[in-house]
Amino acid sequence: MSEVQKDNQIKKMRVDEVPEMKYIIEKDRIYKGDRVSKFLEIFASVLKFSNYRPVLEQYIKVSAKCSRCSVACHVYQASGDPKDIPCYRSELLLSIYRRYFSVDSSMYGRIFGGFELTEEHIDQMADSFWKCTACRKCVLECPMGIDHGMLTHLARYIMAEMNMAPRALVISTREQLHGATKNTSAIPFVALQDSLEFLEEEIEEAHGVKVKFPIDVPDAEYIFFAPVSDYMMEAETLMGIAVVMHAAGASWTIGSKFYDAINYGLFYSDLVLGRVLRNMEDEVRRLNAKKVLIGECGHASRSATFLPTYWRGDDCPPVINIMELTHKFLKEGKIKLDPNVIGDRVTYHDPCNIARQNWVVEQPRDIIKAFCSDFVEMTPNRSEQYCCGGGGGTVSIDEIRKYRTLVGGRRKAKQIQDTGAHYVIAPCANCKKQFRELMEDNKVDGELVGLHDLIFKAIKMK
Amino acid sequence: MESLLEFAKGPMFRLSFAILILGLIRLIVLAVINGFEAKSRGKDKKIPKHYVRKLTWGFIIPIRSFRVKPFYSVVSILFHIGLIATPLLLWDHAWLFQQSIDIGWTGITLSHEVANWLTILTIVTGIILLILRASTFESRFLSRKQDFIWPILLIIPFVTGYICANSAIEPATYNAYMLIHVLAGNIIFILMPFTKIAHCVLMPLSQWVTARSWKFPPETGEQVAMSFGKENEEL
Repeated sequence: MSEVQKDNQIKKMRVDEVPEMKYIIEKDRIYKGDRVSKFLEIFASVLKFSNYRPVLEQYIKVSAKCSRCSVACHVYQASGDPKDIPCYRSELLLSIYRRYFSVDSSMYGRIFGGFELTEEHIDQMADSFWKCTACRKCVLECPMGIDHGMLTHLARYIMAEMNMAPRALVISTREQLHGATKNTSAIPFVALQDSLEFLEEEIEEAHGVKVKFPIDVPDAEYIFFAPVSDYMMEAETLMGIAVVMHAAGASWTIGSKFYDAINYGLFYSDLVLGRVLRNMEDEVRRLNAKKVLIGECGHASRSATFLPTYWRGDDCPPVINIMELTHKFLKEGKIKLDPNVIGDRVTYHDPCNIARQNWVVEQPRDIIKAFCSDFVEMTPNRSEQYCCGGGGGTVSIDEIRKYRTLVGGRRKAKQIQDTGAHYVIAPCANCKKQFRELMEDNKVDGELVGLHDLIFKAIKMK
Repeated sequence: MESLLEFAKGPMFRLSFAILILGLIRLIVLAVINGFEAKSRGKDKKIPKHYVRKLTWGFIIPIRSFRVKPFYSVVSILFHIGLIATPLLLWDHAWLFQQSIDIGWTGITLSHEVANWLTILTIVTGIILLILRASTFESRFLSRKQDFIWPILLIIPFVTGYICANSAIEPATYNAYMLIHVLAGNIIFILMPFTKIAHCVLMPLSQWVTARSWKFPPETGEQVAMSFGKENEEL
């Protein structure tokens, strides 16, 4: 029996009481006029200038309402609310497209009536599309190939243009694009430098080697972008990355003008996605780096894969995730890991954004097996892996923590418990925050680490 | 009755069949054109071809179906095999085409027994699918009226066809059943390009169209903002 079939034998994960999911929107920017017309105007404009029309035309014609997607959805499994079934949620948006914009079906609607967009429907969408974590596990099960994650992204984009987006994400993005610090956590560069100097001392103390975090080195092979929260909160991940790059003799740099790989645009706005990536492009060009290296973060890596779309020109450098690079160094023998350091049981979580389409799946496993003797897989794993529950930007919205950890994260909590692992490796900044919170709220034992945290412990430095 | 039957088998069938074929061709052509337009508007021309092929073939030759709901998948696959193979490979249908347009495939048709068994299989699996749709909580919640009507509508030609092919009945009764058979078939043909049954030709294109649509045009965000005069506005 395959992993997926074994997984479907497991009984449902219904919670007894579903906590409220209510995120805060900035009050002074809420659109006060007729939301129905505004929604339709924005939708029309988006359709005119984007590539969404082909998929919407396709999806309204093929949806079979077979409910296979419901089996894969971690939110539906925990909440039991049929409005969380991915196809139902997608239909909230598709019914609008069908009625008002489709070539074939809008005529039927005009003659026979039927669905009409209302304020209540918009409220329902505002609620529902932020319960989805856009993990796209449902996409693997839909026989008609409907990408519910893309529809979540599109619905959120249209609502964001009406200023109906969670305040937590908007404020962070505003700082990243317009603020003085140019990152989502408003960390001034001097604070970052202090932090890095401190880490350099820690590395020397731990391994007896002087390792530098190179700032503003021109013509380096790799320019490194990490989620900025890592610089303050995931010191060991960064130290692990620095020692790997040092041991492999790689030429790399961090840019002082732009260093935050976080891109909330992937969650709620194509406009933001493009603007953040253009800032990234400016920094890459300023330092004339050859390749773009993204740290341990799923969404940051996947957002960066949109760089060829927004790059001005045809010479876009390749985008690499740090685990791909570490794996390459390991295979080439440039880094050596001590297999006797980590004796505890270890398990690995595949971040949705890098594993769902089979990008970074086997590389971290090869690395882990090289130095962890007791490695146990979760069920299911690899591209079938369940979302941590905090995907799609929901992890950054603190006011919905209970919903996120007790409903969205319930499946993941069970998976971790079933492995009995001590170290839970989650190589994604968002997943890390979510894991810590869900392990606390669901009372799951274990220590949450990034992959390079363990590499930092086990690497043999000369 | 007989003139009505002649009309249903003659001009009405020809019209319905034309609507079917032309409608489905139109859908394929539009989807392909849309996909290539998405390619030209998107700046990044590369798509994950291996992933697209794996998921597309995985549901056409439905190896992926058994991952969830295996019983439902088996029933659905058998239903589709019966649904597609029986009308296409039935000797009677091939013979009718031969008589009408001198193109037939009477050489590669099913034997009477096999056709009978396939017909019964289609009817039984169709009824089971309907029961599953009504009895599973999620399916019941999601389904629209058409999702319940389609299995019934699709079974009607099979039931009436089976009766006509196998029962010893009076000519008037035979004509009545044949009329229902042909009318049901015609209605199915007319509705196919305009409902979810279009998935018969559109399903293989979904993954490719999706992959193309993920490659955004670079100026979408700015152009949408400009159309509302917000291009210089802070977030």
